Amino acid sequence: MSPALFQTALYASLALCSLGLVWRVSAWFRVRIGPDARTVALSQRVAALLRGGALALFSRRVFQLAGAVFLDLLLQRRLFANEKLRWLGHLLILTGFTLLLLMHALAAIVTAKLFQGYQPTLDPYLFLRNLSGAMVITGVGLLLFGRWRRQTGLPQARRPMDMAFVALLGFVLVSGFLLEAHKIASPRAFYRMSDQFIGSTDAGRLTPLRAVWASEFGVAFDDLKLPIDPRLLEQGRELHRSACASCHTKPVSAFVSYPMARVLAPVTDLLDTGRADAWLLYLHVFACFLGLAVLPFTLMFHLVAVPISLLVNAAAPNRDFSLAGRASRRALALDACVRCGICDLHCSVAPLARYLGNLGLLPAHKLQATAALAGGRLLGCEDVALRAADGAFLCTDCGRCTAHCPVGLDLEDLWEAGRGDLAAAGLPSPAQWVQAHPALAWAESLERGPAEHVDSGPDDLLAPLSADRRSFSRCVQCQTCTNVCPVVAHSMDSNHGIDLTPQKVMNLLRLGLRDLTLGSRMVWDCATCYQCQENCPAGVRVADIMCELRALGVRRLGAVRSLRESS
Amino acid sequence: MKYALFLGCKIPSALPAYEASSRAVLAHFGVTLVDLEFNCCGYPARNFNRYAFAAAAARNLALAERAGLDILTPCMCCFGTLRHAIRFLGEDAELRSRVSEALAAEGYAWSGKTEVEHLLTVLARKIGVDSLAAAVRSPRTGLRVAAQYGCHALRPGNVTRFDNPMAPTMFETLIRAAGATPVDWPRRLDCCGDPLHQANTPLSGRMTRAKIADALESGAEVICTACPHCHLRFDAVQAGSSDASIRTLLYTQLLGLAMGLPADFLGL
Ligand code: SF4
Ligand code: SF4
Ligand code: SF4
Ligand code: SF4
Repeated sequence: MSPALFQTALYASLALCSLGLVWRVSAWFRVRIGPDARTVALSQRVAALLRGGALALFSRRVFQLAGAVFLDLLLQRRLFANEKLRWLGHLLILTGFTLLLLMHALAAIVTAKLFQGYQPTLDPYLFLRNLSGAMVITGVGLLLFGRWRRQTGLPQARRPMDMAFVALLGFVLVSGFLLEAHKIASPRAFYRMSDQFIGSTDAGRLTPLRAVWASEFGVAFDDLKLPIDPRLLEQGRELHRSACASCHTKPVSAFVSYPMARVLAPVTDLLDTGRADAWLLYLHVFACFLGLAVLPFTLMFHLVAVPISLLVNAAAPNRDFSLAGRASRRALALDACVRCGICDLHCSVAPLARYLGNLGLLPAHKLQATAALAGGRLLGCEDVALRAADGAFLCTDCGRCTAHCPVGLDLEDLWEAGRGDLAAAGLPSPAQWVQAHPALAWAESLERGPAEHVDSGPDDLLAPLSADRRSFSRCVQCQTCTNVCPVVAHSMDSNHGIDLTPQKVMNLLRLGLRDLTLGSRMVWDCATCYQCQENCPAGVRVADIMCELRALGVRRLGAVRSLRESS
Repeated sequence: MKYALFLGCKIPSALPAYEASSRAVLAHFGVTLVDLEFNCCGYPARNFNRYAFAAAAARNLALAERAGLDILTPCMCCFGTLRHAIRFLGEDAELRSRVSEALAAEGYAWSGKTEVEHLLTVLARKIGVDSLAAAVRSPRTGLRVAAQYGCHALRPGNVTRFDNPMAPTMFETLIRAAGATPVDWPRRLDCCGDPLHQANTPLSGRMTRAKIADALESGAEVICTACPHCHLRFDAVQAGSSDASIRTLLYTQLLGLAMGLPADFLGL
């Protein structure tokens, strides 16, 4: 590969990477999540960062920061507490990748400077390179295995680029090993070197040396007959010591590529003719450059975002942050999430996600929806947006996602902000969107709506009591329920009057006018205190019916909701 | 005595003192608490989808059943929700078969064995008021306490089987066991307003404030709670207001103090 091409490609990908990094990092100050975040200007957010950073660095917090770097970042304490297997995988990748980067990719400016007489083909470098590569591959395998083993039947959150990047990483490693294996086995490489260091490519003259390299260095000469004469080997070793030994140790220590070289031996000739060394090198190097160039837009951006997020966590708990600081933290959280799905495993409402068939409840998916909403991508798809909203408002704020997140993200703050954004975008909680219109208007929409919208399934499983006359026909309209209802009592003396009373709701059911109750204030303001049900002389399950009417309202009014909004 | 401890969603995140004080008190009476990773009791889904609500609740019951344990919960809403689910599943065969199917998909099953107890029912009925009183070292003599019953534990009585829903006495008896004096307040059985907090904040606030005013007028010094939702609602409404305020105390804190347990064990 020509140095000019290499350099151009290197600088081009470095430039792209830097631009990408600037763009992605600037998002931490640009992206606004939560209605409160919209009140802070970009400059305030940058100022908050500078102020907070300076405060943290020049206080006793600095020791806490150092501790966080060690325990949370390097040792990944939080991941260890969650899943030992994935922790091991992560540690292997981190160590292997760092070693490869410093010792191999940056060999010329790191290893060669630190260790005199560095040669990539000498031990321990040869061995260490194989070890590091094997560590990364094993680590990736463990992570994928961990994901697979924890499958709960619910798809895990991921972005398209995530898997593409893992594939690219795998490609870099495999092409690297193949290249090394091919170079070990290649007679062509042997002759190139002998020409350079012995000044000869004459097969006959080099036979003793070739014998040594065939039997001890794995070169696949197809014209050497086995077994090799020991005297020939003795002769060859002489030459080897004087010309090659200072740069080459036996490649058996390359415990991955040496066995690969043996496997490739039968086709080495073919590969030599096809100049495999050249194109494998191109593939390997350009795959690395491609990875570098797109890095800010892949999962690997977490290499930047996670350390910063952990440091910010160590600096102060979220509640001590100013609004400007919190706004930036939310944007940072979107990038620091590694989509590990550990939060999904522990989410209190994960079973509801399964029963409702709505992934929008799961925190890792919710985080992506939050990002999509902030990026203006969510509302484009009405169905997805509605489900995301359903999911967001069923969260119980139990905090388990936050407690388990290995990156230590304050997810509850993000959820609250996200719900605010959803509400502002016209997707508030059911109680809010239903009550935005009077009950009568909803009933009219139901009448106008196409039948298939309105009757989207049997009611009896969702609302068996309100579907069965026997459960309310006993009502004698005595008003006891209304008289004991605290919502009625507390609504009387204000302007927030209710439209119906519990007794009237029961009456509408008796008259077969259930649709008129679905959007009713009374139904949606019911506190489920069960006073009505406990006191009803006829044994009508008033409060249970109220719950049913809300569930039914969510579904039936939901079906005509978009018709309403657009009309 | 051994129970699976069902903390629900609110206590670990917003009221850890309730967990700490419950553990401290129950440990004293030899109750072993087992921690299982339960899911949401199902309450939020009640207004959304009856099947999902019942399945979520049943999954918790199945988890406890697999561990061979009954459930003890300090939360009145979780208590009521789980009891409701048991009722719905019992009376609706179709619901039950769909829920069983959903549970089976995850390898769970619920045969109906799991009992659900509230912290107060365990203290009053399983441990017994006499044992509680016997453990009291420094009775809270003279402290006038208003018992906050909590709708979801109390009603409907035929579902929750907590106490007489019209004229309950359990909470007052428990307060007496701690040496304190229960006060009679007209609004003691009223809703605290919490379920409406999201849907209608002003209405919810009026309900909470009416109760606080009533407790004060009735001469109470403390409102005693046994549900994180009631407790936090009283605190939240009082935090944002300049009106006369009243102290809130969890029953486990009241009893724990009377038993002479160190305050920091009780989250105080
Ligand atoms: S806070 Fe919400 S998203 Fe997080 S675990 Fe709890 S229910 Fe799930
Ligand atoms: S929020 Fe945390 S736990 Fe959830 S997927 Fe992202 S990194 Fe993992
Ligand atoms: S208390 Fe019962 S019988 Fe009387 S009006 Fe209400 S539902 Fe009807
Ligand atoms: S359950 Fe609802 S309708 Fe019945 S009394 Fe309570 S608030 Fe009123």
